[in-house]
Amino acid sequence: MNKILVIEDEILIQQSLKKLLERRGFSIDVSASGKQAINMILNNHYDRIVCDLMLQDISGFDVIEESKKKFSADEISTKFVIMTAYNSPQVLSKANSYQCKLLNKPFDNLEEAIRIMTV
Amino acid sequence: MENKHNSENQKINQSLTVHLDDSIIEFLKQREVDISHLKINPQESSQLIFLKKKDRLWIQFPDGQFCDFAFYLKNIIYFLSHYGLQAGPVKTPEDTFLNFNRSVETFQKKIYSSVSLNPNDNFKDLWDEIIKKTNLISNESHSLRSLVEKILEVPFLQKFESSIIYFHLKGQTKAEMIGTRWRSENVNNFMEVKDFNIFFNSIKKSKIKTFNSEDFQKIKLPFNGSFLAKEIISKKFSLIAIVSRHDFLDYSDEEISLFETCIDLLQPHFDRLIDQEFSDQKISDLRICLKDFPLPLRVKDTQTGTMFSNDLYRNDLQDKDIFFNKKILDPFSLDLYDSDELRHYAFDLFHFQRISLLGELLNTLRHELSNPLFGLKLGSQIFTSLDINEDDRLIMIEIEKNVNRCQQIIENFSNLYQIQTEKKLNGLQKMIDESLMLSKSETRQVLKHVYYSDDSEKLQLNLPQIFVVQILFNLIVNAAQAMRDQIVRPEIWINVKKENAFATIEVKDNGEGIPDEKVSQLFKPFFTTKSQGTGLGLVLSRNLAIKMDGNLEYIKDMTGGATFKLSLPIK
Repeated sequence: MNKILVIEDEILIQQSLKKLLERRGFSIDVSASGKQAINMILNNHYDRIVCDLMLQDISGFDVIEESKKKFSADEISTKFVIMTAYNSPQVLSKANSYQCKLLNKPFDNLEEAIRIMTV
Repeated sequence: MENKHNSENQKINQSLTVHLDDSIIEFLKQREVDISHLKINPQESSQLIFLKKKDRLWIQFPDGQFCDFAFYLKNIIYFLSHYGLQAGPVKTPEDTFLNFNRSVETFQKKIYSSVSLNPNDNFKDLWDEIIKKTNLISNESHSLRSLVEKILEVPFLQKFESSIIYFHLKGQTKAEMIGTRWRSENVNNFMEVKDFNIFFNSIKKSKIKTFNSEDFQKIKLPFNGSFLAKEIISKKFSLIAIVSRHDFLDYSDEEISLFETCIDLLQPHFDRLIDQEFSDQKISDLRICLKDFPLPLRVKDTQTGTMFSNDLYRNDLQDKDIFFNKKILDPFSLDLYDSDELRHYAFDLFHFQRISLLGELLNTLRHELSNPLFGLKLGSQIFTSLDINEDDRLIMIEIEKNVNRCQQIIENFSNLYQIQTEKKLNGLQKMIDESLMLSKSETRQVLKHVYYSDDSEKLQLNLPQIFVVQILFNLIVNAAQAMRDQIVRPEIWINVKKENAFATIEVKDNGEGIPDEKVSQLFKPFFTTKSQGTGLGLVLSRNLAIKMDGNLEYIKDMTGGATFKLSLPIK
């Protein structure tokens, strides 16, 4: 576990996460666009993909759907961590269907959030 | 007297000689009615001649004069009135007589004076027929249109095809047309005022009153051919009456003269009907305005009492519509009443709308701000943990704190403005703290002191938190704004006490206070001393307090400053 992709269109959040995780010794790639992220996922190896749901171009769920070309359902459930500020029942049930971890923004506990993203 | 006048078989102009019942003469005498000009006396009364034409009766007096009159027979009074021949059992002869007398007066005024005719000259037949055919002495049941249509039923006008009027009400931008015997889709019922004026003046100037539709192509009359026209000008409108046979033949002098007389005769009726239709329109406009008026109100009349109340006015008025059912022919004036105790409803509504709007707004704000704030927080947290000098670290810690505060404020506001008014046990101290927190930016530079006595800090109130916080927030912000420019350090004291079954919260400031002459207006809507105030804060606050079975009042404080006291029920 050392390569992480952070998909987040808020540059401040994106860069903060990058800096935070790099300081913990991880190698971080970032993307603000969902479509660009899909290409990166298909063409590179990532141990973990931290993906925001509300992106400017497509949704985080679309990114996961596209990633099914490369990953099995099992792999998706372990590789992806979904970040969202809108935890409506619809979003929760959809996220659950991928069986992956969910991070609520803002983070209540930074260390806990880092743990979820990296372990 | 022979009671034959009701018989269907009797024909026109049959004359009857009748004996007047002595009782009517007696009746008139008793009422000191001057009957000398009628040149009758009891002895001669038998010589009165009643002419019967179809169903109408006329009395011919010995001197040859005609008069519509009544006769009284075996407790039945027969009289001519605006409504034609009337007969009925007399319950109270006096009332019937007075009624009759009044109608005759109006009748004569209206008809005789309008044409300056004596009823015994040759025109009697004409106006008899006009009156009968158009039934125009009836005050009821006529519209302007039906009067225009009835003109063509007048005997000498029966060969005419069209009867039209154009009229312009003063102050209106358009003249309107009403006509009969054409049903063309292309006819424009309205005319520009300037076109109407040109038309009107050409008719006024003409001596012969005979025209041809081709002369007025711009007007697009709904027929072709020659026509007769006559103008009427009155206080409220100008009118052109037109009749046409739809041919190009000339009209005889007699026809012209009869037509003119007829229109002159009808003038008072045009007057009345136009006025009535215009006032119907005014009433229906008024009804719409009043029904949808956003405050409860009623219309009161000194005689009738309440005549109308709108839906917001919670009153068990049986017939809400008396006002509009009443025929109002004259210009009417209204007194609009809304009473203090009935204002609450409208303000509740206002308050509810405001809350739901703000709630929506704040929800959007919360969503929109949550990401940038999160970014700020995350960024500052990271820098705090970096190897930076102590001064920079302090700044980073401050940034993080401020971000937290922003999040807290938005959170609090959106909770406050969510529409949930259900009662819940809420700690009084918590609500006061929250009010202070929310008003923090408005009360910068203001020293705030909160004192609890009688263990009141432990009080739990079973009231909607949103209401309580909103009232306190209003009071605190009001106080702070009132002291904005003062030299003395502004201070606010919040004193919380228990008074019997109530928790009282006094919000006191050390500002200039409220001048005595303005105290009575404090809780009136739209009263404000602030340049940008709505004047609704205190009204809403008091309404909310009353709604919770509490109260909000202003207390005169000898030490200066303003003190507002909010009382809330503990149980």
